[in-house]
Amino acid sequence: MKRREQATSEAAERDRYSRQSRFWAIGPAGQERLRAGRVLVIGCGALGSVAVNLLARAGVGQITVVDRDFVELSNLQRQLLFDEADAAAGTPKAIAAARAVARINSEVEVRPFVADVTPINVEQFVARADVVLDGTDNFETRYLVNDACVKLGIPWVYGGAIGSTGMSMTIVPGETACFRCLFPTPPPVGAMETCDTAGVLAASVVTVAAIECAEVMKLLVGDRTSLSRGLTAFDVWTNDHLQADGKLRDPDCPCCGQRRFEYLDALVTSRTASLCGRDAVQVSPGQPLKLDLADLVRKLEATGPVTSNDYLVRCLVDRHEITIFADGRAIIKGTTDLAVARSLYARYVGT
Amino acid sequence: MIYLDNAATSFPKPPAVAESIVDFLEHSAGNPGRSGHALAIAAQAVVAATRSQLAALFGVPDPARIVFALNATDALNTALWGLLRPGDRVVTTSIEHNAVARPLHAMAERGIEVTRVACAADGTLNLDDLDRALRSGPVRLVAMCHASNVCGTILPVREAAQRAHEHGALFLLDAAQTAGVLLIDVIEMGIDLLAFPGHKALLGPTGTGGLYVGPSVRLTPMRQGGTGTRSAEEQQPDELPEALEAGTPNTVGIAGLGAALGYLQQRGQPAIRAHEVALTTRLIDGLMDIPGLRIHGTGDPARQVATVSVSLEGWEPVDVAAALDSSFGIAVRSGLHCAPLAHRTLGTFPRGTVRLSPGCFTTDDDVDQALAALRKLARTAA
Repeated sequence: MKRREQATSEAAERDRYSRQSRFWAIGPAGQERLRAGRVLVIGCGALGSVAVNLLARAGVGQITVVDRDFVELSNLQRQLLFDEADAAAGTPKAIAAARAVARINSEVEVRPFVADVTPINVEQFVARADVVLDGTDNFETRYLVNDACVKLGIPWVYGGAIGSTGMSMTIVPGETACFRCLFPTPPPVGAMETCDTAGVLAASVVTVAAIECAEVMKLLVGDRTSLSRGLTAFDVWTNDHLQADGKLRDPDCPCCGQRRFEYLDALVTSRTASLCGRDAVQVSPGQPLKLDLADLVRKLEATGPVTSNDYLVRCLVDRHEITIFADGRAIIKGTTDLAVARSLYARYVGT
Repeated sequence: MIYLDNAATSFPKPPAVAESIVDFLEHSAGNPGRSGHALAIAAQAVVAATRSQLAALFGVPDPARIVFALNATDALNTALWGLLRPGDRVVTTSIEHNAVARPLHAMAERGIEVTRVACAADGTLNLDDLDRALRSGPVRLVAMCHASNVCGTILPVREAAQRAHEHGALFLLDAAQTAGVLLIDVIEMGIDLLAFPGHKALLGPTGTGGLYVGPSVRLTPMRQGGTGTRSAEEQQPDELPEALEAGTPNTVGIAGLGAALGYLQQRGQPAIRAHEVALTTRLIDGLMDIPGLRIHGTGDPARQVATVSVSLEGWEPVDVAAALDSSFGIAVRSGLHCAPLAHRTLGTFPRGTVRLSPGCFTTDDDVDQALAALRKLARTAA
């Protein structure tokens, strides 16, 4: 009897994944590797939610989801795992993702963490994963993930989307260039557009997430020769497509060359401080800088009402008032939650 | 950077502070009073010397009655929890820092009666109001600050202590904002318990502070543990300072504090006070000319320490502080300054104020630059 139940469940499993395991590079053995695989998805916004969806359907055994945000109505246009009920309830994205996966594929274990990925916790998350998938919305966290993955020798797949464009790169520590070989220094705080200031199409997000998932699957089934080498970049609106040759590792790279993990050691990351007696948090950039406030005004005007003077720029985002000062610091009023403040800073100032 | 946040912690420290810390770590860092070897004795000597310097500073005849603490908050907790018992009544004021207000709030929930005398909107205390509170029933303790950490207003310590004693109460002074800048003589002023930080106007490192325990006070230790004395006994020894100093003390910090006290002695407390009165005068005079700017407190440099709280029309205090720092490199503190009661008294709750607190290394030019920056902000609508 027991044997028969097992046989039935195996048959069901074969049926569930039949189209995938019939694919030449997967096969029953590859499917079994996917089932045994542990993927860490850092950030469960647009990229992350699409990726979790695909990975769960593909039968990846364990997916750890770390995200500090809550589902909002403006997410639903591209964050395919969430629905109106999640937005109405303001469910944490990690929890909403776990619930959605339970309905999609109950064989997959999702470990949700409503948390900010920081220099303190990132290694613990990364150490338990076979592959890390980037679903973050800011450079600072990517440098941090890169530090942790290079240090621990865990491959990760970078992905980013904005407007109609997308980018992806697979990083295998010790073999390929790392994220910091490619981008040695972060763009200046406040200099980059973000999805909240420039908008983003679901089509570009879904394309990047799909590429990331394919790379994760190659890594899990062990087909490293098929991995994408170098940077993939495209624009779904203007139809540009770029496949940069695999850049060689930079021997002077502070991260993979010299093994100085500056983001992990929190030497250059932004800092938060709650302000005594106020429902407010201050976020400061990790390095001293001089912001072009006029430029920031132009960027933020797309998001809603902006006021400014010689010393500050202020915008309103839902219940939060963000005041940005000339040295890149921001005071975020309407919260005492450091993670919420960091998230708003990343989205509207950009890190 | 122009540092105007000395009320939070003083900066810079005299160079001798860092030098003595390095020297101590390199040459004297044994465990004081625990062993007979040279390093232990050297550490013991540093601790004893700093204790004696503190005793001399506060007019304490017996240095053993000075116990080291982590900071003023730690000293205040040692005093309040060690002294008060359910049924006791304590009289305090409405401009206290949370270091006094929060322990008393916690104790009020454990059967200790707390009577709070309201101060005026400029932070001053009317002694008649104190009298009324003292007359309303038996009192075990009067606990108050020497000067407000928000607006700098100095309270009438001598008179308050005298009234406390007339009603059979002990007198506890929180000297967080004054130790090192105003003269404090525990005997002459009638102070039974004096809590002070080492890292503010005493110019020492953070992690240092102390409590003077007068001869008429017996505190029950909140912590028990090793003291290096009477080790055979399970009971915590009664003798001061050991009774209240269980565990290895912050010898490194105490070494730094000793050097800071040396600097204070050399420069002279009256000279430092005169310097700070001059800075406060310059600051207040300049502030009064800024349209839309309001000074909280007495506005009288003779009646306050060098801590000046202001509000600027059209600006939230938190934004003023951020703008001063980001555009002018001026460090001040905004908000509630861990003293919500004081801000309620001043009428500045919940937004708080912008606090400018010069120190003994602040220059006239620093003050002028801060004034110029505030003038610019006042001309700009937030």
